[in-house]
Amino acid sequence: MSWSRAGFSALILLLFFVVQESAISKIDFPISGFSLYLCVLLGLMALEDRFGAIAMGFIGGLILDLSPSSDSPFGKWALILTLVGYLFSRNRESIGDFTERPMAFVLFVSAGATATLLIFLIFGVILGENNGAVLTNLQTVVGNGIWTLLFSSVLLPGLVALRNYTLTSRERL
Amino acid sequence: MAAGGNNRSRLLLVILLVTSLFLITLDLRGVSITKNSRSATQSLLAPVQRGVSDFFSPVGNFFSDVKNFGKTKAELKDLKSENAKLRKKVIFNKDTSGQLKKLKGVLDLAGRGGYKVVSARVIGKGSSSTFSQTITIDAGTNDGVNKDMTVMGEFGLVGVIKSATSTSSIVLLMNDPTFRIGVRIARSQSVGVLMGEGDNTFTLQLLDPSGSIEVNDVLLSLGSDNNRPFVPGLPVGYVKSVKNTSATLTQEASVKSYSNLGSLGVVSVIVKVSNGGPKDALIPRPTPTPTTTIYVTQSPTPEATN
Repeated sequence: MSWSRAGFSALILLLFFVVQESAISKIDFPISGFSLYLCVLLGLMALEDRFGAIAMGFIGGLILDLSPSSDSPFGKWALILTLVGYLFSRNRESIGDFTERPMAFVLFVSAGATATLLIFLIFGVILGENNGAVLTNLQTVVGNGIWTLLFSSVLLPGLVALRNYTLTSRERL
Repeated sequence: MAAGGNNRSRLLLVILLVTSLFLITLDLRGVSITKNSRSATQSLLAPVQRGVSDFFSPVGNFFSDVKNFGKTKAELKDLKSENAKLRKKVIFNKDTSGQLKKLKGVLDLAGRGGYKVVSARVIGKGSSSTFSQTITIDAGTNDGVNKDMTVMGEFGLVGVIKSATSTSSIVLLMNDPTFRIGVRIARSQSVGVLMGEGDNTFTLQLLDPSGSIEVNDVLLSLGSDNNRPFVPGLPVGYVKSVKNTSATLTQEASVKSYSNLGSLGVVSVIVKVSNGGPKDALIPRPTPTPTTTIYVTQSPTPEATN
């Protein structure tokens, strides 16, 4: 992962973070809300190698930690998404290149979004946070998974194209 | 080569995990850098949220309408007739008139309670991925709004100011799982604690073992020292059902809030309370229904006249 691509990805993530916080979170989705930011971040992480996925997970987590509505300690998202980045890259190595299998890509990102929120809740319990009713939280996790599944099929092709645009000629080989 | 790459990745993983844990420790120890970073983000996001709010509210409302579609036939029928009336208003300005109505309700309640308030528009909502129930309003420290001030809607309590910047503030809604408020039952004056549960239900736990709760009991805020974070006498909600919990020492009840936290357009932040609060003046009274008396007079039959 080149420095220029890391910077470019961080800029894209910042842009989607602003969109998420100012527009998407205002929509009262049925079942529960949808995190566009998480969908984009996991999509970008899934396209990276192990080093890149871990680094992007950390950067993406730090940006998400900036969320003013967040009650969790600063650094919690960075910790979780670094771990998720590592797990993602391990699994991705066994699955292979996603860009040729869009269905696998969509399912992988949706499952990743669900797993990420579950890990977030589990870490919250470990840190002694009050996360509220279990059923409501599960509804949020499942709802977000369903919306990610629906929206990622539209978003991810664009992400792949965007990422290919930022690849260096050496990385293309 | 691959082993080298793996080692590099593992080293990065360890470094980033340690950095994250370091940041968490700093935050839990109350280091201001981490706290300030969120306030700075809020200051930067507020103008964008304000701009998007006007443009995006019809989209947000659309999804809300879809979600509630088909709840009950009766509700749908009522809504249809209401919708017909509202259509006329839409031509004029649906959004503005709705917000004015809410503002009137809020100011009316604040006036009756003797509260000095700062009214604000809701410009943002907390992201669902944070699992916390918050809204962003367009009033901040420049308007006299500060942390730990009570926020009210047109029917009663909405939440409390969690953090404030110069131009915007984050409100922790009363249905957040971390939200706790001392309340008293207007009928019996029993005191209890109301807890948010992340959804639209609340749990009331009485502090007095001999106290009693009844369905439809009205709950008012108990108030805090210097009226922060909570002012006294503000309607909070009413008892929906009483829980039969033999395992606990005190009674518990399920509560419904007066405020509809899903459709907040305008809220007011209470900055001052005059004359020690409204006592019981804000208890919602049922609107009297007019009774119709029909007198029936028997018309004379032809036999009777003969």
